[in-house]
Amino acid sequence: MSHEKDKLTAEAKTIQIGVRKKSRRDFIKEVMKMPGGEKILECIQCGSCAGGCPTMFAMDYSPMQIIKMINLGMKEKVLSSSTIWVCSACYTCATRCPRNVNFPTLMMSLRNKTIRENLVKDCAKSDFHKYFFEVVNKYGRFHEPELLVKFLDMTNFDSLLHNARLGLRLFKRGKLQLRAPKIETSWVCSILEKTDQKESQ
Amino acid sequence: MKYAFYPGCSSHSTEKEYEDSTKAICKVLDIELVEVPDWNCCGAIDAVYSFKPLYSIALAARNLAITKKMQMDMVTPCSACYFTLNRTNKILREDAGTKSKVNEALANIGFNYNGSVRVWHLADILLSDIVLQKIKEKVKIQLTNLNVASYYGCYLVRPPKICNFDDPEHPTRLDNLVETIGASKVDYYGKTRCCGALLGITDEELALKMSKDILLSAKNSGANCLATACPVCHFNLDARQKDIESRFDIKINLPVLHFTQLVGLAFGIEPKQLGLQRNCVSPRKIYPLTMTSVS
Ligand code: SF4
Ligand code: SF4
Repeated sequence: MSHEKDKLTAEAKTIQIGVRKKSRRDFIKEVMKMPGGEKILECIQCGSCAGGCPTMFAMDYSPMQIIKMINLGMKEKVLSSSTIWVCSACYTCATRCPRNVNFPTLMMSLRNKTIRENLVKDCAKSDFHKYFFEVVNKYGRFHEPELLVKFLDMTNFDSLLHNARLGLRLFKRGKLQLRAPKIETSWVCSILEKTDQKESQ
Repeated sequence: MKYAFYPGCSSHSTEKEYEDSTKAICKVLDIELVEVPDWNCCGAIDAVYSFKPLYSIALAARNLAITKKMQMDMVTPCSACYFTLNRTNKILREDAGTKSKVNEALANIGFNYNGSVRVWHLADILLSDIVLQKIKEKVKIQLTNLNVASYYGCYLVRPPKICNFDDPEHPTRLDNLVETIGASKVDYYGKTRCCGALLGITDEELALKMSKDILLSAKNSGANCLATACPVCHFNLDARQKDIESRFDIKINLPVLHFTQLVGLAFGIEPKQLGLQRNCVSPRKIYPLTMTSVS
């Protein structure tokens, strides 16, 4: 009897490992289809990307490590890493990579994936993209004051004060355009509708 | 010379002086800038792209489609727009799937576009042989006492497949311009380091540190002013310089000018017309060095 049970457990384990392997493979395949993910398997772990990255000190995993982790199919760790939000898209790594790995574009694609699938841990950073989109969608152009107000943390006095100082500095020099840009925006909705439709296909 | 002019959102608002100085010097150089009618946001590097990639490409494509109807090359003073618009061109030329999707959206508003419009950075235009020669002729005041650190940042030169203004690692073209107007160039570590770009909004702490490193390396290499070619970089290095000083408890006080403002000074254009009163770090201390009669 116990022999039967052992056999069953072993079988379950094999299946489990099989499922995990498949989900890892699926993740790698998925990333390779994203903009920026085309060349990930060609990475030789040379470290050029990490060596020149100006924001690496603020990342939990370096660009080189993230690529390795993707190639190992470590989906959860990759999607929850701070790296994908910290990258400033400076393209230093992509310029130097001997294997043409387009890391910053891939980071944008991974941001998009985590936002779409609601996997975001750090809301402030993903909210930025949402707010920016909302502002542009409303006016057709970017309008700083509206984004900054959306972004203000009303509970944090220090940050309010700090932002007020910056705002005042800009205002005194006539750099803060409080009036929103006025352009014809009737077209925006139809572009949004169509691209949303296509995006979900 | 006639170009379709795409100012970009920042050159139109927070960095208005960039547009003003651009127009002022182009007038002297007989370069006609025709603003793209009813232009919209270019898609802003990763800001919109990370949220809705197709939508962001369509936004950029709309500007280009309007420009196509104008039958002119496009010129923009903003490096971020320069990148975003050229990225869109590249995607539409190389990726047939995306091209047809974007064009279906554009068709809804009466446009179609296949990536054919040439997009230049303003610096590219000014540094063509003919214009550079003209600049040389128009210089009224040699800015001999200025040591200018030219700041290239990211999107003038990277990624080279999209933004090919100059060598991505050791660019020198802006320095040529600096020498043309009589000033001395400064070579420094930070000239292609990233200023933090939009991290200034999402992760200010990080962006301040990145900008600090650039400013300090320029200053320590003997610069008495820094020249930018992008409104986003200018905002981080100029408008936030006070924040950097108080955050790290240091004194930098390095005037950051749009490169167009420098050229304008050399042309003898009134500082006010170049919008110099709008720069957050006052450029007043370099006026005596430019030997102009500034009140
Ligand atoms: S530079 Fe390219 S090849 Fe080298 S580790 Fe980074 S991604 Fe891999
Ligand atoms: S693009 Fe991102 S990961 Fe690459 S060097 Fe720049 S900040 Fe680092």
